[in-house]
Amino acid sequence: MVSNLLNTFRRLAGGMLVMLLTAGYAYGQDVQVTDARVSLLPGEQPGAGYFQLYNAGDEAVVLVGAESDAFESVELHVSSNQDGMAHMQAVEQVEIAPGERFAFAPKGHHLMLIGREKALKVGDEVDVQLEFADDQRLSVTFDVVSPVSL
Amino acid sequence: MYKGLLVTLASLWLAGCVDTNWRTAETHEIMPPLDFSLVDEDGQAVEAEDYAGKVTLVYFGYTFCPDVCPITLARLAGTLNRLDDDVRDAIQVLFITVDPARDTPEVVKRYTGAFGDEFTGITGERAEIDALTNRMRVTYEYETPNKRGDYIVNHTSAVFAFDREGEARFLIRDSHPITDAVADINQLVTES
Ligand SMILES: [Cu+2]
Repeated sequence: MVSNLLNTFRRLAGGMLVMLLTAGYAYGQDVQVTDARVSLLPGEQPGAGYFQLYNAGDEAVVLVGAESDAFESVELHVSSNQDGMAHMQAVEQVEIAPGERFAFAPKGHHLMLIGREKALKVGDEVDVQLEFADDQRLSVTFDVVSPVSL
Repeated sequence: MYKGLLVTLASLWLAGCVDTNWRTAETHEIMPPLDFSLVDEDGQAVEAEDYAGKVTLVYFGYTFCPDVCPITLARLAGTLNRLDDDVRDAIQVLFITVDPARDTPEVVKRYTGAFGDEFTGITGERAEIDALTNRMRVTYEYETPNKRGDYIVNHTSAVFAFDREGEARFLIRDSHPITDAVADINQLVTES
């Protein structure tokens, strides 16, 4: 009984892992994006996009931007804390060396998604195109979540 | 081992005499009592005295901020969730905007509603907000708007705790573990 449950859990977990990995399938399979979430609140306020990026290739990849049909504009941003002050600024690009991981995570790098083109709620999915320096694009499906769940 | 315990107990007992035994950062000596004339999320004129009787946690932010502000408020909501119900009933969180041009009462009400019943949005005249931030020596600054007219506001990231009489007691920084915030809020609520 217990081992049955465990097996079921393993299958589910395995399935979820495959889903997560294939969320960012394309781009020569060299760039893998997992755990993609858009943190949104009710209303018109901008959202924040978080994800893990893994460069499985043998050349550096450079993320230079993003866009989404669901938002008027998407920017690469970084939050920082300087002497107790919360700062936020746009970043031009993020370079990920071969074999490296890079986290877009709360209070650090994030996508800033501004101007909702349609109503979105927790549980919805949003497609975002990540744009790389060599004109490559990667379509990633983000889950809409509440910041309270992060 | 026993010696270490005795020293710990002795220092706890000594610390009990002054307002410096917080695990977070003490503010009583450096910050005046809570004092403001602003507008609440229902559009009503409010003063700091209206919030007396409960422990008040104050955070300065703006709703256009997608990352630091919601994450900080979410973390604070998570902190409150670790308290007993009767303790939580004695706490209110004021989200005071430093961006009243965009943050109308309606906007801050919808925004704070996502974090829990304890959270209330506060806005008001820019001059009144400045009077409050100057008194508390809290800083914020607007960045140049982009083509869309959007602008970023850099702002103090701490959460300030006031007791039931509105006296400043401690502040919680990002770097303080949640367990420390939980312990200090618990103590502040139960001391009175
Ligand atoms: Cu941002």
